[in-house]
Amino acid sequence: MSEVDFYDARIIDGTITSIVLDNGKIEEISTNYTRGCGVRALCGGSWGFTSAEGDFDLQSTIASASELAKGMDTKASQEKISLIPAPPPAITDLPVVAIDPADISIEEKVQLLKDLDQHARVEGVNSTSAVYSESSVKLQYMSSEGIECEYELTRIGFAVTSIATENGVYQAGRESRFGVCGYELFDKHDVFELARSAGNTAVELLNASAPKGGSLPVILDPELAGVFAHEAVGHASEADLVLEGSSILENKIGEQIASPMINIIDDPTLHEYGYFPFDSEGMEARKTTIIEDGVLNSYLHSRETAAHLGGIAGHSRAQGYSMPVVRMSNTYIDNGDAEFEEMLEVIGNGMYLIGSRGGQVNTGEGVFQFNAEKGYMIENGEIGALLRDVSLSGQTLEILNNVTMVGNDLKMNSGRCGKSGQLVPVSDGSPHISISKALVGGS
Amino acid sequence: MSDIYDVATRSLKLAEKCGADEAEFYFSSSKLTSANVRKNTIEGAKELVSEGIGIRIAINGALGYASTNIISRIDDVVRTAVKSARVRESDPDWSSLPSNSDYPDVSNVFSDQINNIGLGECIDLTQQMIEGATSIPDIIVTSGSFSRSVGNQLILNTNGVEIEDHGTAVSGFVDVITTGDNISTAYDYSISRNLDIDFSAIGRNAADLALASINGIPIETHRTNVIFHPFAFSDILESTFLPSIDADNVQKGRSSLIGKLGEELTVPELTLVDDGTLSGGIETSVSDEEGTPSQRTTVVGNGVLDSYLYDSYTAGKDNVNSTGNAVRNSYVSNPSVGTRNFIIEYPPSDIISDTDGGVFVNTVIGAHTANSISGDFSVEARNAFTIKNGQIDKPIKSLMISGNIFEMLKNVTGAGYDVKKAGGMVTPSIRIKNVNVVG
Repeated sequence: MSEVDFYDARIIDGTITSIVLDNGKIEEISTNYTRGCGVRALCGGSWGFTSAEGDFDLQSTIASASELAKGMDTKASQEKISLIPAPPPAITDLPVVAIDPADISIEEKVQLLKDLDQHARVEGVNSTSAVYSESSVKLQYMSSEGIECEYELTRIGFAVTSIATENGVYQAGRESRFGVCGYELFDKHDVFELARSAGNTAVELLNASAPKGGSLPVILDPELAGVFAHEAVGHASEADLVLEGSSILENKIGEQIASPMINIIDDPTLHEYGYFPFDSEGMEARKTTIIEDGVLNSYLHSRETAAHLGGIAGHSRAQGYSMPVVRMSNTYIDNGDAEFEEMLEVIGNGMYLIGSRGGQVNTGEGVFQFNAEKGYMIENGEIGALLRDVSLSGQTLEILNNVTMVGNDLKMNSGRCGKSGQLVPVSDGSPHISISKALVGGS
Repeated sequence: MSDIYDVATRSLKLAEKCGADEAEFYFSSSKLTSANVRKNTIEGAKELVSEGIGIRIAINGALGYASTNIISRIDDVVRTAVKSARVRESDPDWSSLPSNSDYPDVSNVFSDQINNIGLGECIDLTQQMIEGATSIPDIIVTSGSFSRSVGNQLILNTNGVEIEDHGTAVSGFVDVITTGDNISTAYDYSISRNLDIDFSAIGRNAADLALASINGIPIETHRTNVIFHPFAFSDILESTFLPSIDADNVQKGRSSLIGKLGEELTVPELTLVDDGTLSGGIETSVSDEEGTPSQRTTVVGNGVLDSYLYDSYTAGKDNVNSTGNAVRNSYVSNPSVGTRNFIIEYPPSDIISDTDGGVFVNTVIGAHTANSISGDFSVEARNAFTIKNGQIDKPIKSLMISGNIFEMLKNVTGAGYDVKKAGGMVTPSIRIKNVNVVG
């Protein structure tokens, strides 16, 4: 292996259990025992990557990745890649598991899920589904530079969906909570109340109307504003996208790109769903301020992109034993000082958009489109009629500059983020934010 | 594969010994080689070797599932699956696992050329895509990938199913951006079971489209004819229409097509077919992923809703035969209903020159945010152009399209000659009248 400049390996052992309930009936109980490794090797300017599953041989996996790297370097030689130094990570403050899910019987978990399902079935709801998942994973990292470290992490959570139908109209409500903790997650939140609220949302939306499309002042709730922070700003700040020319934030470090009220942070050390103690390159996790008082402060980096652009590494992540890429962790717009009531008053007439049914963004052109779960008209500073099928689209930088008020009620939401075909656990959040003008679409 | 047959036979026996009424052994293995492009250069090569086993158990009409990629732990997996089946109440809708049957012949799904391709050739083909794009001035390939894969599947169950499948695939994808003051992006991709892709053309197409899209003009919100390129149409259809023909969604009250079999659903010229046997189809194989023979199913025939799509579980519930639509994300998951090759048929014509005025949309973003039950969607159109007097006229700067798929399928007025494989979806460009475009 002397011919490659660098290699590292992640070895992952995990057990994942999921239970799926459909209309109160168990649809699936499944357990997966998994073991695998992902090995990277760097030769000159080329990466080779090999993953292997099951009863693999680590040395031959390293050899295979090295062969790919060397083969690439010979066939399509490129400018040498350098990596910033990696000091051994200090692993402190790992999340504590108070109640190990492995100590709870499968029967009890099924019963809890059935109770959740029951609460999601409020009057008017026609069908429900509920999912429970737990995973316990041990991750070992080693590199040719002599770093060896490991951690174990338990993740747990649930999601419930209610669907209401009337006269051929279908509407859904969904609530979920996921975390890096044990079975105590179900005591930390009022999970039955959350399930009920999923049901209520579905029923209420049946009688909502779809808005007319147009450009108008909006208030985003913490969930939708968090999705904006993640999708529109967070992805554009990923240095691999910046380097490939796919980011609207390229060459803008130090520039005022947003209203001075805006601070956007990515912090993997928070004990939220996107937590990790060290990243997939063995770099210790640390908080990164992406936008500070409206000024673009930092991109998110891997060791390679940090060497290239200057910056701090620690945002390289992978799903299982895939090739690591630059990713977010827990991303949020930090608190301002406005009260929600005050925001309504100031905006006068506009729209209040709540929740998210996902979104997509073109980071290169800086345009995005998100569908809200629901919305309300705001008339004379008062919340008015309920709206459904509301979408928000626009230019990322325009929206950032159009922020006129930032609330003081930051809330985080858990989810999974897809990039390069890999899903990783993340969270995002925000306080309420008020935007002077945004494009709202309806039907 | 002979070792894995032994493991299979042994685990089915163990399952029966533990009290299983029925047991299924599902094995899949794959080897995928890929090269990734970033900013006009190939940044690395990957080789992913994957294999794993899923065990499904039925006891008194209750199902259990467990899986692993650690073959030495197979006995634990069988016991865990039995245990989880015992936790569950009997499911009155469960009929049985598929039984042994006659399997169709399928063609053009395995290519020795793809199987034997070396790293050097993978790099050459990737290079062809980059050169195709950069042969057009003012273009950078921001990202792209080449991949080739070889996969094997083996299904054995206690009802006598014993079916193997082997397949290959190759694909190329590039995303490009223009370098001038006026930025525009575009992508193109192609996928095939054989080594018959023009990789250079993938690069050129994306580059041409990005360049044609610069200096876009704003347009007014109005209703007009929209021609959806196969990429745009398949994206929308996948998130809006396909969930509604899934028998599982129909049975659970999550489809707008409940009770509509035999009804006129679309314009009479339109036929929608699900076909697991299509020669060279991306989703073609001898059986589905629980061992039911693949077949051709007319979902909408000349405008009339003829059939939903079934796996063996949903078929048992409706007392019909499975349509061979059991699919799995991987060995880790239970099979569930999914489409195979989904083919859109409509009499072709020169649809652009037939169109006096309207909009041509190449791709959309945000289709996955659609309401999969009601069929309502709202997407951002990318690389969209106005059509004037039968010709593509000007690029459009920013455009949203919203509507309802079921209404739109009643408004289809044309299809092009340009049939494309967008993954498992096989469709030409489709023209729809009276679509709401938001400028």
